[in-house]
Amino acid sequence: MNAPAGLDLASIPERIQSEVQRAIQRSIKGVEYFSTSGPSLGSTPKDVLHSRGTMNLYHYRPMSDEIYRVPVLIVMATTNRGYILDLVPGQSFIEFLLRRGYDVYMLDWSAPRPEEKSLRMEDYVLDFIPDCVRRVQADSGEQDVSVIGYCFGGVLSLLYGAIHQDGPMKNLICFTTPIDFREMKLFSNFSDRRYFDVDHLVDSVGNVPPEMILSSFEMLRPASRTVSQIQLWENIWNDEFVKSYRMFDRWATDTLPLAGEYFRAITKDLMWDNKLFNDTMSVGGRSARLENIKVPILHAVAEHDHIVPYDAAKHLIAKIGSADKEEVMLKGGHVSLVAGANAVKRLWPKLDSWLGKRSI
Amino acid sequence: MTDKITDPVALWQKMVGEMEKGFNSFATKAMETPEFSQAMNRAGGVAAGAQKQFGDLMERYLLSMNLPSREQMTGIAERLQSIEGQLGEIKSMLSQMSANSGAPQPGAAPRPPRTKRPPSEGGEQK
Repeated sequence: MNAPAGLDLASIPERIQSEVQRAIQRSIKGVEYFSTSGPSLGSTPKDVLHSRGTMNLYHYRPMSDEIYRVPVLIVMATTNRGYILDLVPGQSFIEFLLRRGYDVYMLDWSAPRPEEKSLRMEDYVLDFIPDCVRRVQADSGEQDVSVIGYCFGGVLSLLYGAIHQDGPMKNLICFTTPIDFREMKLFSNFSDRRYFDVDHLVDSVGNVPPEMILSSFEMLRPASRTVSQIQLWENIWNDEFVKSYRMFDRWATDTLPLAGEYFRAITKDLMWDNKLFNDTMSVGGRSARLENIKVPILHAVAEHDHIVPYDAAKHLIAKIGSADKEEVMLKGGHVSLVAGANAVKRLWPKLDSWLGKRSI
Repeated sequence: MTDKITDPVALWQKMVGEMEKGFNSFATKAMETPEFSQAMNRAGGVAAGAQKQFGDLMERYLLSMNLPSREQMTGIAERLQSIEGQLGEIKSMLSQMSANSGAPQPGAAPRPPRTKRPPSEGGEQK
């Protein structure tokens, strides 16, 4: 019997040997996997500059001999922890920025406590972010501050920038930031106002539980979790794969609850009324039209983002009032845009070349 | 090198990838329908209601056992949070005063000068 076209018979014994070795390695490494805790994340040296309830402001210790004049404040998404931007040495966005000479601060979130269920959008946009900006100014001795917002951290940064037109924000960078919430099709359907009683939910549970947030993210790609576990088993002999899997899996499942009133406002103002896109958004009675933003802005979007599809993000640059504005679309997904091997070679250098010349 | 067309491992991986895409695509279509939203939110509403009723029941039980209620614990937590906030403010004020006086802050490393310039186009990063 002839071998099928393309099959190299000579390679079969070698391949069988390799597969047997991998099977043995899988058993050994599988035991190791469950008996070890995975890499330590978020370990770039930092100081807690301020902490108040759900809000934490960190300052990362500089790693270069001289730094840019303008400090950078990163505003993390309220659903997730900031260590996605500080994974392990060599794969840490924070470390990259520090080594490139930026003075880096991060507004990161802890789980809101039950008594913080009454936190509103106003608390985030008119209190937490301005408070952190003031503290960055005081700590750095500089008036100007560049702001980087990731996902919903980008939305909060946009609202902050649109309301505080007179500064001190010098540059704004948004990563995968939605503004047209109709285009987040599945989230939009999950929160269909005909069937989703947000008042009942918030009045019943207070803060929206992290399990609910995680489930809604996982429902966007319901098969992917199972498939990723199959891939883990297949590749468990590969230390680098396992390390990467553990980092991202730990982060993805480490979801934060959302303060009840804040969630109510997101649902009603953004998901239902699409106010940011319609230019009718206001926070605490203050208009937050995107055209009010006049500072240089860079918006980085991911080609295969299943959480914030491009259609939900594509109008941002057109709506911003700045003369100096740019959108860049890069290969990757919602998370791989900012972290991991893809980000190291694509987003990070792009950001550095854009921000460096605007940070002097 | 084994051809990917005849490599059973590569075929398996391709099949798993295709199954994932297919199932995700099918599920997305189903979840985009109003019927799904209605069913999901009906179930979610019932769960939230049950959670509230259970919470109320526990509250009454704790009271009968002469244990602090959730409201009382929340009150204590709020007071602690307020104290934490005030401590943070005091710490911040002390740091500011120390910075204004020009004295080096204990444990604080000197900050590098803010003189960095971007590398020229195509130039080396420092």
